[in-house]
Amino acid sequence: MIRIEPPMMVLNQPPAPRPSVLHIFKVYYPDLFGGTLTVIRDICASLKDTFNAAVLVCSRSGGERQIVVNDVAVERVHSFGDVLSLPAAPTYPWRLWRRIAEHDLLALHAPFPLADLVFAFGLGHTRPLVVHWHADIVSHAALRFLVEPMMRRTLRRASAIIVSDPVLVETTPLLQEFSDKCHAVPFGVDVEKYDRPAAQGDDVNARGRLVLACGRLVPYKGFDVLVRSAHARNFEVWIVGEGREREHLEQLIRDYGLQDRVRLLGSVSESERVKLMRIADVFVMPSVTNAETFGLVQLEAMAASRPIVNTALDTGVPHVARHGLEAITVPPGDPTALADAIETLINDPERRRRMGQAARHRALTKYSTTAFKEGVETVYRKVVSEEAAAKDAGSLAPAPRPQTAGLIGAIQIAGALAWSDVRHRYVRSLLGPFWMSIQMAIMVAVLGSVIGHLSNASAVARLPMLAASLTAWTFLNSVVLDATTALQGSASLIKDRALPPVIFLLQCTFRQALFAAHNAVVPLVLWLALTPRDIGGAIAALPGLVLFVVSALGVSLVLGALATRYRDIKPIIESSLTLAFLASPIIWTPEMIDRGSTVMRLNPLTHLFAVWRDPLASGHVAMTSVIYVLACLAALAAAAVVTITQLRKAAFWI
Amino acid sequence: MARIDLQDVCLDYPLYGAYDFSLKRRLLGRLFRQSSEMRTIRAIDSISIDAKAGARIGLAGPNGSGKSTLLRLIAGVFPATSGKVEISGNIVPLLGLGAGVNLDFVAADNISLLLRISGRKPTPAILEEIWAFTELEERMQRLPLRMFSSGMLMRVLFATATAFPADILLLDEWLSVVDENFSAKAEQRLRKMVETAAIVIIASHDHALLRRTCNSIINLDHGRIASTVALDAPVPHHLELREISA
Repeated sequence: MIRIEPPMMVLNQPPAPRPSVLHIFKVYYPDLFGGTLTVIRDICASLKDTFNAAVLVCSRSGGERQIVVNDVAVERVHSFGDVLSLPAAPTYPWRLWRRIAEHDLLALHAPFPLADLVFAFGLGHTRPLVVHWHADIVSHAALRFLVEPMMRRTLRRASAIIVSDPVLVETTPLLQEFSDKCHAVPFGVDVEKYDRPAAQGDDVNARGRLVLACGRLVPYKGFDVLVRSAHARNFEVWIVGEGREREHLEQLIRDYGLQDRVRLLGSVSESERVKLMRIADVFVMPSVTNAETFGLVQLEAMAASRPIVNTALDTGVPHVARHGLEAITVPPGDPTALADAIETLINDPERRRRMGQAARHRALTKYSTTAFKEGVETVYRKVVSEEAAAKDAGSLAPAPRPQTAGLIGAIQIAGALAWSDVRHRYVRSLLGPFWMSIQMAIMVAVLGSVIGHLSNASAVARLPMLAASLTAWTFLNSVVLDATTALQGSASLIKDRALPPVIFLLQCTFRQALFAAHNAVVPLVLWLALTPRDIGGAIAALPGLVLFVVSALGVSLVLGALATRYRDIKPIIESSLTLAFLASPIIWTPEMIDRGSTVMRLNPLTHLFAVWRDPLASGHVAMTSVIYVLACLAALAAAAVVTITQLRKAAFWI
Repeated sequence: MARIDLQDVCLDYPLYGAYDFSLKRRLLGRLFRQSSEMRTIRAIDSISIDAKAGARIGLAGPNGSGKSTLLRLIAGVFPATSGKVEISGNIVPLLGLGAGVNLDFVAADNISLLLRISGRKPTPAILEEIWAFTELEERMQRLPLRMFSSGMLMRVLFATATAFPADILLLDEWLSVVDENFSAKAEQRLRKMVETAAIVIIASHDHALLRRTCNSIINLDHGRIASTVALDAPVPHHLELREISA
């Protein structure tokens, strides 16, 4: 048995008095008001004794980056505006990633694909994540196929998912997959805030024609349906809220000639809203899509003893205020049914009173702020303590943590080794990082002048291409040469630390790629200085360059293994590389060589250079070259697969 | 749950270099009807071990009896030629301390790299912890390992290798850690690591050591299990045992 003992690796962390929670959402006060924000604010405020809260959001107002809202630190990432209902804040994922380590718990208020991006790439896996599922993505359904895999990954990684109503788990396919993690914690409302001043006597306005609705003016709220429903009836409609639909709604009101009965009040303060709720006769929530999951405002109206008219969505909406008890529920998007329901209530003050009382009773008993606070706190605490327990157990039996297994682990280790190689290459050098670049510059200068004498074309104009070709060749040459000795050089790591041999072959490519990045300074400077800087050509060259690097990787895997197994391969490779250098159009430019030469045509290197060099020079590439390279790559891939299976035996060879 | 299950495992070690199996010899061999079979040595010969959590296995036997090869086979370095190998749990092979060390790098870089090689992220806190264990001066972190005495080097490598516990711990020879002061501390840490690991396999010539740390000893000879000795729970008073076995 594994004994539960204090972990050996005790990190000297002072016991934090309060764990800290990072709330992740797209927007926050003071840029916007709305249901989700109220929920976040209430969580922060009600849990302030047990959890330290911080908020990371986007903001297009361009104000201070760090502000404090209701004693909560809010960091705002600059956004350039909304694209497809999402803030265009390119730095948000980066900021989020940087902030994750500073907190003990992450609370993602979904949907927010920008944050999903971070979690989908497996970043921030060191901290537990709770997803507050506020809504599914309903708008822009065509783009759902892009977002859904990311959301699924986020949910898979989450320790717990909090929904406002159990029905959401049943009706949302994505949540069904993770139903065991879902916790239903209904939102709460502070009923006392809606208490009538004692002076005001009668609960029900006898005239009774004031209909109130609240919410951001966005399409899913269905306010256009409400405006239409007012047509040819006699009730008044006041809509509280602001948003991008305003103009459309104003147009609609004018079209129906309802200016005298339908008013858009814009944003109002919270106390003002409470007053409005108290004087309204009927509260309407005409939302038309499942983006409305709960309807916090209808709960507030219930707390204010208002009868509700809501819509039969597949969400918590008709469960919070139930048809016939606290509300009349009508089909979404049906102005006639909506108007009929409103009129029923308008014409029946007694029913309004009864429903209002039932609504207040339900808000008081089922949706108390205490229950909400305790529900969220229980989930947060559970997740934090589970993580702490897992961490303890992790340092005892860290089965999932070390990632030596698998390709990702191998790539990570190879990357770390290569990076270390590069960093230490300069340990005792005089010129520092760029002695390689200088070497390359000298080589280009000498060869360039020689070639300039050989051909009559302008040598200077050809220098950038020569430098790029030499850099690429140096990369390929070094990768292959490195690979032939890599496994023997790392014998102790393979045999004593049981590292997979493929790591050390990958390491060669990574290391040489980093060196090539240094050398690339020379062609880059020459290109910028001597050519018209055709960016399009450079971009067109990128796919070819990727093919080139992948080929180098494939060749190094296969030859590296072969050279370790059969020791006479290494000298053969060395002499072949020299031959290849001379027989390939590396220092010769395309115009200088005779493309008809059989050796040139059959030499894979000709095409391997052509696939990126031709687009760079002329903007297009011969199809034969692409096909030739792809065919070679397919063969290489097959050989690499065989090699990797054979590499299990590499320990015998070294 | 950690488990090692070997059933009739054999390992034929190919002897490259000891014989000439070049193309020429192979072709001529076929011509003269010589067997062109590859020369191998059976390093492990139908060994079956079933170790569950709590097992402390000592491997004893003369040089070349297959102790290290068996450890490497369990670690996944060598694939078995035949038989069934099933291992679950995270293996930490401590078969040689010096693997992956570059003497030209400063100590802190070496530690970071070694941690990365074992799939760990070197955070400052972990580096701090490791360095505290070595009892070396703070400023020596920035010195290349080349400048360290062999005792100091051993401290650094030992502290790094044992920074994290394991499900399955494979030790080739009880790591001899020189320095008098340090060796008590090192032995304590290693002992603790052995206690927290679910399965420990130690290969050693030192019978006394095996007796005081293991609950069963497997004697190997020419790649076969010559005998298996089950011991009672390891006796803490190892000095007495040492006298008896001496």
